[in-house]
Amino acid sequence: MDEKIKTIRSNKTLETAREATLFAKKMLTSARDAVAAGKPVGWSMFEWWLGASVAKAMGVELLYPENYGAFCAAVGKVEAYMDYAEMDGVPGTTCGYARNCMGYARRLKENDYVPPADAPGGGMPKPLFLLGCGAVCDARYKWFQGLGRYMDAPVFTLEFPQTGPMEYFIRGNKENNIKFMVQELRAFVAFLEKIVGKKMNWDQLSERVDIMFKTHRLAHEVDLLRKNAPCPVFCTDFWAIMIPVMYMPDEQESLDFYKRVYAEVKNKVDNHVGAIPNEKYRMMFAELPPWPLLGIFEEFAEKHGTNFVMESWNYHAPPPLPEEERAGINDPLELLARYSYHKFNEGAAFAYEKGVEPTIFTSYYLQYAKDYKADGLFCHPLLSCRPATYTLMHLRNLLLQKMKVPSVVVEGDIVDLRVFNVDEAYAKMDAFTETMDYYREVRKKEGFEW
Amino acid sequence: MSEKRGLVRAEEICGDHEQRAKEIKAGGGKVAGYFCCYPPVELMTASGYLPLRILGDMNEPLTEADNYLPTAMCCFYRSVIDVGMKGRYNYLDAFLGAHACDGAERVSYVWRSYLKSPCSFYLDLPHTNHAAALEFMRKQLIYLNEELEKGAGKKATPEMIREAVRVHNRQRALVRELYGLNRVDPPLLSGSEVLQVMVAIMSIPVEEGNALLAEVIEEVKGRERGPEKKKGRILIWGSLIDNIALTRLIEECGLNIVIDDTAIGTRSFWVDVDEMEDPFAGLAVRYLDKVVCPRTFRDTGETRQKDLDNRFGYLKEMVKGWQVNGVYFNIIRNCDIHGYEIPELRDYFESMGLPVLVVEQDYTTTALAPLRTRFQAFAESIG
Repeated sequence: MDEKIKTIRSNKTLETAREATLFAKKMLTSARDAVAAGKPVGWSMFEWWLGASVAKAMGVELLYPENYGAFCAAVGKVEAYMDYAEMDGVPGTTCGYARNCMGYARRLKENDYVPPADAPGGGMPKPLFLLGCGAVCDARYKWFQGLGRYMDAPVFTLEFPQTGPMEYFIRGNKENNIKFMVQELRAFVAFLEKIVGKKMNWDQLSERVDIMFKTHRLAHEVDLLRKNAPCPVFCTDFWAIMIPVMYMPDEQESLDFYKRVYAEVKNKVDNHVGAIPNEKYRMMFAELPPWPLLGIFEEFAEKHGTNFVMESWNYHAPPPLPEEERAGINDPLELLARYSYHKFNEGAAFAYEKGVEPTIFTSYYLQYAKDYKADGLFCHPLLSCRPATYTLMHLRNLLLQKMKVPSVVVEGDIVDLRVFNVDEAYAKMDAFTETMDYYREVRKKEGFEW
Repeated sequence: MSEKRGLVRAEEICGDHEQRAKEIKAGGGKVAGYFCCYPPVELMTASGYLPLRILGDMNEPLTEADNYLPTAMCCFYRSVIDVGMKGRYNYLDAFLGAHACDGAERVSYVWRSYLKSPCSFYLDLPHTNHAAALEFMRKQLIYLNEELEKGAGKKATPEMIREAVRVHNRQRALVRELYGLNRVDPPLLSGSEVLQVMVAIMSIPVEEGNALLAEVIEEVKGRERGPEKKKGRILIWGSLIDNIALTRLIEECGLNIVIDDTAIGTRSFWVDVDEMEDPFAGLAVRYLDKVVCPRTFRDTGETRQKDLDNRFGYLKEMVKGWQVNGVYFNIIRNCDIHGYEIPELRDYFESMGLPVLVVEQDYTTTALAPLRTRFQAFAESIG
């Protein structure tokens, strides 16, 4: 009999981070309550805030199967769903979140669309529609398309252009991208109005956009506070407090929560309190973590003094939209389009200047290395989430070449515990501290600021 | 240039698919390398470039790829970056990447980071065929054309592009005629011969390709005998195949490959560009809407059956027209866009009474031998 692989739970260092996991459970509860009250529920990909507020402004409760995958993984319940999807022909090489969702959807169908009693967190109720997204990875629309075999929910795929760093500077290209995104958002509104059976509440949408901008501004300011040494927020804190930033930044509850996060972090900075007691090394993490094993980063910190000061570019709120881009724009759809495009491209000038491609997933880490005075990068190539993995080796090369910041590579997965070799991770981290020491000297000799 | 003609010439080019590109380059011409079936070859031709499809190499051990790409990614694109980093395509005057799929997108960036060409462009393809997406695509193509013009040092006027559209449409018609020769039983060409012709015409100027196709069609029509009759008449669907080691293996196992829906096959040639006043509009519609690849999302429609027919209906025509009695899904490992389609399309074919074989292969000739028994067993199961 196989020995059960253990999860390594994180304790987190922020009080507010310990509260944040309640947001994930609340999403599930709210969706089930909505269904019970006859209100519409949709399943959505994380779409970098392009379309979620649009749906919510029409009274739709949204659930995020990607988040549900991470949730199931964290409680050690994904294997059965993934196996069930694979038994139906879904390749074992596809996204772990997708297989979890497809296996769950297959069970849901067999249970007459009543969430199974043993589903983690009470399960996701059947959606009225599915909101896919063209950004970052193909799974994020192919997976929802594939759910058609289990449910009769139509899919709307939101377009999200992925501009190259050189092409970003072609005259007119950025505005064409924004125009395209707005047109697609209008098509999404028409889709929603038809399927939900009511008209868009534009005032509510504007209110939601306003709240989101405020929540994200605070989240970004928390990120900026992490530049301090010692860094007041650890990666495991971030992976908890990001939930409201990602999935419900447009709700007052999230804004109120982030005011408390900011206050807690600011208080730590003012009192020179770090996330860990003895910050010896400042590390970054790319890109998606091994959710069931987050506590291992706290164990590394305890053993080596490695504070993780920045991580997971794709989960962070961007800097606020520049005033010149907001000025005179009253259409909330255009504000959303500009904001989401800004998330992906605000680093284009840096990428272009440094000759780094792509902007996403790559150039931002070079900026972080400088701004957060990083000593090293923990690279986590994933077996079942390739798009977050494709550029990691390239990133490793660029960081070393351009910033003299080394990387340690530990393969793993977002859901499959079996792939992450804990002993190997420890051994590599043991050796990596010496590598970081060496490159500190190299940076010093070559005139880097840290 | 070689004196060989017809199928022998196609075999020669396929065996060294950069041969003609290097000759053209040596003669002062320009070569544009491109990824997948999406950067329009018409624009390259109109600007005076030889469009050269960038391929990997199933015979080449991967010794460089791990330095740039993780192991858990598309095996084809790992091979592409491997041979690229070994300098195989260093002579390109232009590099055209594309957001055809995640693999193509990220490798386009990685490629441009290390391998510099005088001209380069990353074509950001939308994911849907919505009206706004088609207009967005049209604009992207205008930008692409401007970059090619800069690289070529000359204008490609709308009339020059329209002329390129005509000559490439002629090529597509010839390709359809070539595949049409395999409607009969036994087929007149083997799948390996067809593949050699496809690789060849993606590696030489379009006019030469058209002449080669005409030669091959004439030669095959006059053949006394082609491939022997076999029990299985199969359709290959899936990721690309660019090496006849795989098609030969399949054909040695009692199967005739009579038609395909792959990226080095019908998918790149099956549909024409509408000849329109605005050539960019015609190109946008052809490449984004008319080319049916699982990478482009099509709205799900009112019913489940309509959704499936909208995505796969064209395959029914192939099955009927080519008397297909079995389907092989060729999936290059870690290809998501084809991978997600497997359960749906398998059921679709099986509902037509067709057996389906699904193989995830590693894009290397060294891993082909173990597949022999699977193809043999599949052949046994047909009929």
